[in-house]
Amino acid sequence: MRKYFPFAVLAMLALATPAATAADAEIGAPAPAFSLTGLDGQTHDLGDFAGKTVVLEWTNHECPFVVKHYDSGNIPQQQATATAAGVVWIVINSSAPGKQGHVTEGEARRIQADWNADQTHYLFDADGAVGRAYGAKTTPHMYVIDPDGVLRYNGAIDSIPSAKIADLEAAEQYVELALAELAASQPVSRPLTQPYGCSVKY
Amino acid sequence: MRLLTAWLLPFISLLAPLATAADTAPLRTDHLNSRLVAAQDTVVPGQPLQVGLWLEHDPEWHTYWQNPGDSGLPTRIQFDLPPGFDAGPIRWPIPERLPAGPLVNFGYGGTVVLPVLLTVPADLQAERITLKASADWLVCRVECIPGEGEYTLTLPVAPTAAAAPRWTDDFARAERRQPRPAEADATIGYTEETVEIRLPLTGTLPEEPDAEWVFFPVTPQVVSNTAAPRWVETQDRRALVLPKSDYFVAEPGRFEFLLAQGDTGLLFGTRADASPNAAPIAVPVAADDGFPGLLAALGLALLGGLILNLMPCVFPVLFLKAAAAIEAGGDRARLRRQGAFYTVGVVSSFLAIAMILLALRASGEALGWGFQLQSPVFVAALALLFFVLAMNFAGLVEFGGGGLAGLGQHLVRGQGDRAAFFTGVLACVVASPCTAPFMGVALGAALALPTAAGLIIFAALGLGLALPILALGWVPGLANALPRPGLWMETFRRALAFPLLLTVCWLLWVYGEQTSVLAMSRLLAALVTVAFGLWLLARRDAWRWLGWTALAAGLVLPLLHAPDFDAPRNEPPTAAYEPWSAARLAELRAAGEPVLVNMTAAWCITCLANERVALSSPEFHAALEARGVRYLKGDWTRRDSEITAYLESFGRSGVPLYVLYPGPGRDPVVLPQLLSVAIVRAALEDI
Repeated sequence: MRKYFPFAVLAMLALATPAATAADAEIGAPAPAFSLTGLDGQTHDLGDFAGKTVVLEWTNHECPFVVKHYDSGNIPQQQATATAAGVVWIVINSSAPGKQGHVTEGEARRIQADWNADQTHYLFDADGAVGRAYGAKTTPHMYVIDPDGVLRYNGAIDSIPSAKIADLEAAEQYVELALAELAASQPVSRPLTQPYGCSVKY
Repeated sequence: MRLLTAWLLPFISLLAPLATAADTAPLRTDHLNSRLVAAQDTVVPGQPLQVGLWLEHDPEWHTYWQNPGDSGLPTRIQFDLPPGFDAGPIRWPIPERLPAGPLVNFGYGGTVVLPVLLTVPADLQAERITLKASADWLVCRVECIPGEGEYTLTLPVAPTAAAAPRWTDDFARAERRQPRPAEADATIGYTEETVEIRLPLTGTLPEEPDAEWVFFPVTPQVVSNTAAPRWVETQDRRALVLPKSDYFVAEPGRFEFLLAQGDTGLLFGTRADASPNAAPIAVPVAADDGFPGLLAALGLALLGGLILNLMPCVFPVLFLKAAAAIEAGGDRARLRRQGAFYTVGVVSSFLAIAMILLALRASGEALGWGFQLQSPVFVAALALLFFVLAMNFAGLVEFGGGGLAGLGQHLVRGQGDRAAFFTGVLACVVASPCTAPFMGVALGAALALPTAAGLIIFAALGLGLALPILALGWVPGLANALPRPGLWMETFRRALAFPLLLTVCWLLWVYGEQTSVLAMSRLLAALVTVAFGLWLLARRDAWRWLGWTALAAGLVLPLLHAPDFDAPRNEPPTAAYEPWSAARLAELRAAGEPVLVNMTAAWCITCLANERVALSSPEFHAALEARGVRYLKGDWTRRDSEITAYLESFGRSGVPLYVLYPGPGRDPVVLPQLLSVAIVRAALEDI
């Protein structure tokens, strides 16, 4: 009794509340501002997307976890659905020069095209400043920012940490869930999850 | 037959090593050799068989432990075994901490065996058996590569075990590095930003872990993987303070962790800490969409109330009521009526306590359920009540009704509606020492719900408590199933005096912790005086007046003579600080002086850790003096509504809280809950 009752009540509260945590980028607080150069050679500022929901996705094309979600079509399909609905989907590469996943503009363009990726922008963060400001730990690591610039989701792409495509079927897609809830003006039911994947190669 | 076996045995043992060697050529995958191995070269029917996944990593490459840490994945093994065989879980040896840039993982490098114990059927008929397994893992240096493999291992069946010399060392090392479950649980508490773990009392463990031991969280998403814990010595035990995980969402049902030094590892479970900081007093709750949750909480509250009936403090009262029911015999109408009044008594008392609590909280008191027990006067009163009940049950005194002593008994005894109602009230009152420790956290959370929902949960708890008696009248056959009244009831009643006395012991301990040995001794003397008074009164002779006097003195004195809370506590004058008060803070700020506020409590482990690491360093005092910062310290060890209000103004429900007021025209800065010299220095230099 003593074991389950507090847990049940707390779990219930956890579902109903945005958790107050010490994460680098805090849920319910304004998302850290950034200004990065993209594949198109232009500089993009988070402020440019005010009024729109923004998804941030940390990537490293040599990471098997990223490969799983692109080869299976999971991330490209989510990108297509989200951008069709007016969401801004930003892929960020924080791999430092000389580290795994660091690519030139041309390579990045080819990689994303091969994967039929459908992101709005692909931004380079070679010095890792934005990755550190957000506390990005893994690739993939996902964030969702609402139209007011407030961080609403921080965590994994889905609920099953693995590099196996077979695990996708049973996995709950956290980003899809958060986007659907935001679109319906509901609070995000799982605002914070533990990301999984390869470490970001800062 | 026996002769044949004896004759064959040497051959089998000759053949066996050959068979296994052939079976277990290693599987080469990226940066890893792996194979399925067994600690024995033979399978013995009915005897457990130790097998394992043998992993040989390339230099600098690793695979992961059950909690892989910040990235990585745990290695998984699936067995496909012959009928009757069964595989246990992986018996993870102590892992290593593997820092990777800003992240920390937990895993293994070099050569390691992950052992799994197989059960072998006793009626095994085959000559040899083939074990199949598949495994998958993530192998990383800086980059990571997922891998998987499939294995088979064929072993001959033999009546005796033969060790597999080739793997002896690897299995022996895995065995040596098996963590042992600790003999006692640790306790765990949470602040806004930290997790506080108190190890079991010094002296209860054969080995006492200290700061030299390495900490591994088994349960993920609770504490930070990267930070080494801060060790704090308290009077009777060691404690560890860790920053919360960035992905901390809710307190886990049970948090487990491993402390290891060399090949020695201790695996600890934890239970919730009863320190005041642990009560989630100000959990913000969205008022909407709590409905399914509320229903579940109601169900649990009902069940909780039901279970309360078995607690040592409630059961005897339940017996009072049951005894009345037994005497009522088969009179269903009367049983129903009494059950209803009893239920009304219980539920209304629970609601009354909840409402008092809510009203006090609304007026700014920082209280959780169990708040009554924070008051020594209430604890003393409960101890006296339980003692008198115990004396009554033990038969030292039988209340005959009439007079003051009979008043309480008069209300409870007998057959009337009023008796039923007040038995319910009594059940609630005596249940309170049991509810507080067992359900404090949960009820504290219930208090954070909207008022109506909170009250409904309390009512459900009361209903659960009353349910057995209520059921007597309504469930056909239940009343008939009661035993017949007889002499056994008297014997049973006497026996029930002892759980009551045990409850008294517990209350005395609480009282002693809250006050002092002297005050506790006074309370003990009062109990003896009460017993003496009751005995005299029961004699019904000329000495009754003395009995009354003793009883009155025993009951009233400890309550009047409440220990003095405002007596100065002997604190060593460590630093140049002034005690905090809202007025003093306002005064200093009006004067334009920079101020550092430190809100602390004696029971707050995080506060102690900060005191030791950052706030007692000469560097800190030099920095304070150099910048002319006034240092105010508030002590929340005992409830203080002024400090509670101050904490709440920063959205906090507990300590520690560090606030730096840099000076005129600048906003106060809240410092992290886990301080280091560097953090404090940087904050002070910013003035």
